Amino acid sequence: MKSADYASSQYICLERDNMNTPKIVCQNISKIFIQKGTQRVHVLQDISLEVRDNEFLVILGPGQCGKSTLLRIIAGLETPSEGTVLLDGQTVTKPGPDRGLVFQSYMLFAWRTVMGNVEMGPKLNGVPKAERRKIAQHYINLVGLQKFENHYPHQLSGGMKQRVGIARAYANGPQVMLLDEPFGQLDAQTRIFMEQETERIWQTEKRTVLFVTNNIDEAIFLADRIVSLEGKLPGRMASVYDIDLPRPREHTDMKFLHLRQMITDASTLTL
Amino acid sequence: MAYESVKVEKPLSLILLPILSVFTFFSAWELIVDTGIVPSTMLAAPSAVIKLFLIKLTDPNPDGAILAAHAWTSGKEAFIGYLLSLAFGLPLGLLMGWFTVVRGLARPIFELIRPIPPIAWIPLTIFWFGIGIEGKVFIIWLGGVVPCVINAFVGVRMTNPTLIQMARTYGASDWQIFVQLCIPSALPMVFGALQIALVCCWVNLVGAELLAADQGLGYLISMGRRLALPDMVVLGMVCVGFVGAVIGYAIERLECRLLAGIRR
Amino acid sequence: MSAMIKQPTNSGTGDRAIANEVQEAVGEKKPMTIYRVITNEYFLYCVSTVTFLLVWQVIGQSDMFKGALASPVQVVLRFDRMLTDTLAGLTLWGHIWASTSRVLIGFALASAFAIPIGLFMALNPYVDAIIKPVFDIFKPMPPIAWVSIAILWFGIGEPSKIFIIVIGTFVPCLLNAYTGIRLIEPELYDVVKVLGGNRRDEIIQVSFPASFPAIFAGLQISLSNAWTCVLAAELVASRSGLGFIIVQGMKMSDTSLVIGGMVIIAIVAWTTSLLVIILEKLVCPWKRKLEGF
Repeated sequence: MKSADYASSQYICLERDNMNTPKIVCQNISKIFIQKGTQRVHVLQDISLEVRDNEFLVILGPGQCGKSTLLRIIAGLETPSEGTVLLDGQTVTKPGPDRGLVFQSYMLFAWRTVMGNVEMGPKLNGVPKAERRKIAQHYINLVGLQKFENHYPHQLSGGMKQRVGIARAYANGPQVMLLDEPFGQLDAQTRIFMEQETERIWQTEKRTVLFVTNNIDEAIFLADRIVSLEGKLPGRMASVYDIDLPRPREHTDMKFLHLRQMITDASTLTL
Repeated sequence: MAYESVKVEKPLSLILLPILSVFTFFSAWELIVDTGIVPSTMLAAPSAVIKLFLIKLTDPNPDGAILAAHAWTSGKEAFIGYLLSLAFGLPLGLLMGWFTVVRGLARPIFELIRPIPPIAWIPLTIFWFGIGIEGKVFIIWLGGVVPCVINAFVGVRMTNPTLIQMARTYGASDWQIFVQLCIPSALPMVFGALQIALVCCWVNLVGAELLAADQGLGYLISMGRRLALPDMVVLGMVCVGFVGAVIGYAIERLECRLLAGIRR
Repeated sequence: MSAMIKQPTNSGTGDRAIANEVQEAVGEKKPMTIYRVITNEYFLYCVSTVTFLLVWQVIGQSDMFKGALASPVQVVLRFDRMLTDTLAGLTLWGHIWASTSRVLIGFALASAFAIPIGLFMALNPYVDAIIKPVFDIFKPMPPIAWVSIAILWFGIGEPSKIFIIVIGTFVPCLLNAYTGIRLIEPELYDVVKVLGGNRRDEIIQVSFPASFPAIFAGLQISLSNAWTCVLAAELVASRSGLGFIIVQGMKMSDTSLVIGGMVIIAIVAWTTSLLVIILEKLVCPWKRKLEGF
């Protein structure tokens, strides 16, 4: 397997020996879109990475670098032009309930209440009504939306909407959570609060998490490991960083700031 | 980051089916008339309509005018009514959108008149104007003016409030904001109105001519009914539909051209 | 007809209210000055309505139109008589019901067929490929143009009137159901896919509910078309209905009957469209209120 080429060698960027077996393996993924019939857009090139069980992996990159496409490929919504995605050793060909996806633009069902949205996954998988209500209620409580079960999405704020999105993904009982810039549309304060919430939820319900973001602070705050992509198409792997800071992390911690400086410097080099 | 993967090749069946479908439709139509399933006093076969079309190009009988004259009359009436409805409806709608006084005064009357279908005015216009062109233009105008007012109004109301506040901080007067800001931002909706109003005008034209006329495509249709000539009725309908479709298409293209600069 | 569909989609951003209104809503209570009273929107509504009726009354009483315009008072008196007297064997209520029942039957028939066909076309490319070209031939024909052929086919009885209404309402119903599904955000289907749903789940959970608002917008357009059609049919040939009242007024040179008929059409048409709005509120309680006209 081709290891990532490192942008800057003076920093510790390494793939540690895996203690656990990898949960997700991406092997040499490339993606080419065809636009308007003939135009070819090379979005991803030769992406290889492994995600360990219960790891919080952040894919970091500026806008338009193909990181969302990578997530959609792992979700099974797009097929890679080259390479394969393995989940527990099985090739991913189509979306399935073992992976939960949270969208940047929430994508809630406007015609269903919070409860209706969250219980959608179990409902589609044939869970009886009483049971799926219980599951949904559990996750609604987990994301802190009790008393809002009967609200419709348009009655909620952006942060609350994304909580519903997260609860909806969790309620389906996925082994892997895929989050596609989930807080991209929130204001800065709500965003920081939602990051803390995400960490809290992840600590309570350990899952393998793949989190896509363009925000370096957010990445350092949440990640066990950060994979950064180059800031232009086609998206290539730039560097991998291990974040060993103890949780919960502080945005003003010296080590935090040092890491932030390091990643910022590295990413400006790639632009 | 919504990339769309476009399928390069359309399945052959999806290209053939529409052609097949139209072909089947016309041959079925021709057949049910030719075999007498539907009597030819009720429906004319496509071949008969085409034959009549060729005859009507030069022969003014039995309805008194050649096809081109009918089309010219209808087109003239529709165009005058359309222009008048634009000239009246758009300024009114724009002003109603921005100035409270205009809105307060005009809206109740507009709301009273709006739900009355334009063709309900036909008897009254016959009292007022007789069966000349004025009455028909009035009916067509009524049909076109409603969408003009509504779209212009909504267009102004959708002006970005932040931009208005920005203009106020620069000390712009109400009138300046209206001219420099509200009207440009209402333009997309106004272009929408151009299209909708034209369709409404064209629809009402047929209604206006159906009851009181001595020339025009609508008149051709009602003469066909009175003389029990289904081929003439169908010919009139096809002409009306065809002209309507051409106008609609032309306006749509024009709108795309003109709006290309406004929409990013 | 295709242009009609622009209205519902265009008002989609209508919840961005205009700036000075927002300011008024949160602003403190200002003292009541004469200027503020005469620029109050609702005050102006009253002024405008009263002036309109007064001017109408004065013109109607004068000889300006040589008796071709009845005054509001004459209209009201005429229709007060209509409530008990009969015209062609029916009281006013009878005529209202005659028109309304035609509209309701035609409207129900058309929507029962048009909406499923529209949905089916949008969901299946093969159905689309077969029906769309034929539909496109009929689409630009004004419904009123069908009055003549309907009379040739069905005579001047009830079936011809209902046929015209069905034709007039069919196109907007079908078009809106069709575009309603076409305009659904494709990512919403991805949600269902990721949660483990199949194509059937996508249609039931996303396509149908998401197209409801567009369908209702289509029903509104259809309803106003239906009233135009029923009037056209009744104006050409009928023995009952509101169009018949207007025609009778014209034949007897009784403008109070003509104008009164128009006013009643306006009221009844407005009431039926209100019913559709109420129905929409019941079916789609999740729909955000939009600022339209």
